[in-house]
Amino acid sequence: MSTPYTKENLSKKKVVSRLASYMKPHKKALTYAFIMLCIATASDVLGPILMKIFIDNYLTPRNFSWQPLTVLAVSFILVYMISVVLNYFQLISFQGIALKIIQKLRMDVFGKVQQLGLEFFDQTPGGSIVSRITNDTEGIKDLYVSVLSTFIQSTISLIGIFIGMFILDVRLASFCLLLMPLIFLLMQTYRHFSAKVFRVTREKVSQMNAKLSESLQGMNMIQAMRQQKRLRNEFGTISSQYLRSQMKNIRLISFLVRPAVYSFYLIAVMIMLSFFGIQSFDSVVKIGVLYAFVNYLDRFFDPINSVMFQLTRFQQAVVSAERVFGLLDDKRLAPVKEGTSDPKITEGLVEFRDVTFSYDGKKDVLKNISFEAKPGETVALVGHTGSGKSSIINLLMRFYSIEHGGIYIDGEPLKTFSDEELRAKCGLVLQDSFLFASDVMENIRLGKTSISEEQVMEAAKFVQADQFIDKLPGKYHEPIGERGATFSSGQRQLLSFARTMAIDPKILVLDEATASVDTETEEAIQEALRKMRKGRTTIAIAHRLSTIQDADQILVLHQGEIVERGTHQELLKLEGLYHKMYQLQLGDVQSKSGSAVS
Amino acid sequence: MRIFLDLWWFFKKEKWRYIGGIITLCLSSLLAMIPPYLIGVIVDDIRTRTLTPIQLIKWLVLLAVIGVMYYIVSFIWRQFIFGASLRLSKLMRDRLYAHFTKLSPNFYHNSRIGDLMAHATNDVTAVEDAAGDGVFTLVDSLVMGALVIISMASLISWKLTIIALIPMPIIGIMTRYYGSLLHKRFHKAQEAFSNLNDKVQESISGTRVIKAFGQQEVQKDIFKLESDDVVKKNFAVAKVDALFDPTITFVVVICYFLALTFGSMFVVHGSMTIGGLTSFTLYLGQLVWPMLAFGFLFNIVERGSASYDRIVKLLAIQPDIVDRAGASKNVPSGEVTYHIHQFVYQESESPALKDIRFTIKQGQTLGVVGKTGSGKTTLLKAMIREFDCREGDITIGGRSIYDMTLSALRGAIGYVPQDHFLFSATIGENIAFAKPGASKEEIEHAAKLAHIHADIIRFEEGYDTLVGERGVTLSGGQKQRISIARALIIDPEILILDDSLSAVDAQTEEAILTNLKENRKNKTTFISAHRLSAIEHADLILVLEDGKIVERGTHEELMKDKGWYAEMYQNQQLESLVEEGGKIS
Repeated sequence: MSTPYTKENLSKKKVVSRLASYMKPHKKALTYAFIMLCIATASDVLGPILMKIFIDNYLTPRNFSWQPLTVLAVSFILVYMISVVLNYFQLISFQGIALKIIQKLRMDVFGKVQQLGLEFFDQTPGGSIVSRITNDTEGIKDLYVSVLSTFIQSTISLIGIFIGMFILDVRLASFCLLLMPLIFLLMQTYRHFSAKVFRVTREKVSQMNAKLSESLQGMNMIQAMRQQKRLRNEFGTISSQYLRSQMKNIRLISFLVRPAVYSFYLIAVMIMLSFFGIQSFDSVVKIGVLYAFVNYLDRFFDPINSVMFQLTRFQQAVVSAERVFGLLDDKRLAPVKEGTSDPKITEGLVEFRDVTFSYDGKKDVLKNISFEAKPGETVALVGHTGSGKSSIINLLMRFYSIEHGGIYIDGEPLKTFSDEELRAKCGLVLQDSFLFASDVMENIRLGKTSISEEQVMEAAKFVQADQFIDKLPGKYHEPIGERGATFSSGQRQLLSFARTMAIDPKILVLDEATASVDTETEEAIQEALRKMRKGRTTIAIAHRLSTIQDADQILVLHQGEIVERGTHQELLKLEGLYHKMYQLQLGDVQSKSGSAVS
Repeated sequence: MRIFLDLWWFFKKEKWRYIGGIITLCLSSLLAMIPPYLIGVIVDDIRTRTLTPIQLIKWLVLLAVIGVMYYIVSFIWRQFIFGASLRLSKLMRDRLYAHFTKLSPNFYHNSRIGDLMAHATNDVTAVEDAAGDGVFTLVDSLVMGALVIISMASLISWKLTIIALIPMPIIGIMTRYYGSLLHKRFHKAQEAFSNLNDKVQESISGTRVIKAFGQQEVQKDIFKLESDDVVKKNFAVAKVDALFDPTITFVVVICYFLALTFGSMFVVHGSMTIGGLTSFTLYLGQLVWPMLAFGFLFNIVERGSASYDRIVKLLAIQPDIVDRAGASKNVPSGEVTYHIHQFVYQESESPALKDIRFTIKQGQTLGVVGKTGSGKTTLLKAMIREFDCREGDITIGGRSIYDMTLSALRGAIGYVPQDHFLFSATIGENIAFAKPGASKEEIEHAAKLAHIHADIIRFEEGYDTLVGERGVTLSGGQKQRISIARALIIDPEILILDDSLSAVDAQTEEAILTNLKENRKNKTTFISAHRLSAIEHADLILVLEDGKIVERGTHEELMKDKGWYAEMYQNQQLESLVEEGGKIS
């Protein structure tokens, strides 16, 4: 149930500038969208001015000449048409850019995760990696959308409205400008308080969800120990705390957002009315100007409202960004080729020289391991769970880097081989045969276009997987559902054998499956394994000693050390650990067949 | 709109909040009608130059008063209406949780925790929205819309009102249309996103294969395809989403245009003033929101309704394990007798238990062994009534476990399940789970009996060490022993250890068993195990196969029988030898 306790990497530094750097490739598109936005806003701002011209030049003096009025009417409609159309396009361009940026960011994170070593995967719960790549990047999308669309747009329209007001009346516009610092103050206050309330609310939600999910998982214990009432009370407490923090949030919004913004609107209206009112005491006021001002003020507060609403989202997105960048900055990379030489694997001679290894730097899981597998030989690893068999395979596959001792293939250090060479010549067959959700063909070929369909079929035939594949309705193009649930474990193993055979490796690394399969498939599997091993250096973990009696060398591991080595016969003669293991399994087989008889 | 009927019980329960909320909400809409009218009046006064300073001050004070009142009133209705809706969601949450605690294991067996979580979170939120935003949008759009139209028609000009409003319904119609379009596309976008999620999940689970075959680039390509699809589907959503604003703006502009054109004609005719025209345009601006809100309302209500139905359905599920009528509340004690003719799980055909009959005297120990799936756990779970056995009975001290309350029965039993589930709390709290007020000494005593005390005090924070996702990582053996201590703290009449010693080593196992023997005089213990050493000293050992007892007796008797037990015992002796490295001590 519990996952290893790992501190999450957060990258708080330069989050904003890093996010901004993702916009660079879209400079051109951004510029176009920005221009569209500016023109649209300009048209928007022009509307009230046209109204003012109409009122002051035609309506008030009762000057209704047909022609200029038509021009005015048409341009009024036209100006707004332009604004509407451009607005639409700028909206979707900003959205499009945001989506593309997120796409890039996702590719980067996913790519990064592919580069990370198994060390990282051992220490990080899978669910959290998935949510970094999908949910958190989705959260960042909000950031780009809110920044690009809402913030920029609102700023531009505010600027536009001010320009309009300045054109109409400089003095009044300046008065209105004085309101801006107050509005900023309001926003800052809201941001400040909402960040706090928001954090608490989020905390409460996650506490509540954790409690709920835990209770659901452990309900049988809760019931068996009669703690229903207590747990109900505990949940009720968290639930109330959550309610309280939500109420705070509501209060905050009521205090500082809608009603407050409306108050500012009224203040602006009052300034404007007094301005014109005082003017009217000793001169004539242009009613059109007044009318246009009323119109501007009416729109002035929409952008402010939307910015305030986006503020909380913005804060959430920054947290997501910190997490994603934390993952991007992770240092637990998979071991890669070192040095400039580019050795090739031709013979398949595998050597371990005095290898000592530890996953956590504290407890050695392998101690002074030395052995040699000559080309074409089979070396079998046996031992109890936790004896270090899998670690040897993990090191040979270069999943982890080693500090002490060395591993050599054809006399060259393992770390000097390129990844391509290593992966093409070392074929790993894993205990749990992982299948991808696609079809049989793709699962054997694994995206290597260099492998032809014929080669795939050949590989399948070689391991005798063709027999069951041919029986599938779609044959090689039969879709494989999630984790290959429709196939038996034996069939899955055969498919993963075929996968390895398709690349025709020089060295075979086997982790024999412990899962029991039916006898018929079992025979097929053993037969396939025998054929696969022929002519290849094989390092195999064996759980059933019967399958490795013909191995050239058997290494018996106990607590990270090789305690016995030799051929099957030699080890039996020794009457040591191997002998006991053999007896044990023999007993197992006998008791199984014995009970079948009785 | 059915959701409002469904939630009527709640509206009634919170009637003062809702009545108060709706009244103040209407009041705020009413207040919002005044400034545009005032502006119009002042504009006219300015135009005709009849405005005096005193008048101006009067108007301004009035505006200020309205502003303050509006602020107060809208603060109040938000507290009332949204506050009530939050209360509703708490109520639903707590109700669901309480319901969850009553449902039987069978229910949990058949449902996914993720789904249940979704009901308690997303569905509750959707209902909350209906009771809050839903009520607010409904009232506000109706009241505000009506008020604005009435003000326009009565205060300024009903003719102009009709003319200017002609295009307005387009907003409602279009937003509704966009809404349904959006819904479909949004659904597709979500699907694409979930595919992407699956892909990532797959590639994380398959890391080893991917690395072993050097598949990183291929994975990236596949991922790119999936994420391209996400972009495409999301862009389709954005295209519709972006239609809302421009459409609304344009319709409003047409309204303005009509108002301005025809309004000017009225002004020329003298049936209207310019101030009136100004007020009129301001009112028009206020009509946009009610139109929009109506579109929103449909979505909120639809979602709320569907969610409410799901919650009601969930709440209607009856637990199948309940106290029977006349059940006694006395905690049982005494010898345990099983008389089970057969027991069949709901979804299976072959019986999980068949002809299970035995008696264990008070203070004795029962050992249950057998292969995986032979019915060991089922046999033990029958005792704590995780399911009810219809054909047969179990008695404790001569009383049927079905004639006592669940609470009485379980009060007598300390249960240690196979999957040692610990809660995210401190180790001390976990041990004291069944006895929340337990003293430090009691907790430590239980921990010592379970042979975990030494491990615990080695942690920096001892008994206050947190376990679970955010806490320290415990080994399987440690978890098992904490789980045993948790069962021991109530000093139960009957202790059930369901394969609970599998992850501890042989010496620890022996120590725990000795502790139990010494400290549980006259108390009964049931142990099931794979490793026979755990039950070697039991007073009665049952060997199960396919739900039936195939061998029974003490260790010595079974060894003499030379059956499955004897064979298994010898095998395991050898196995432990191998585990220890083959060195015969």
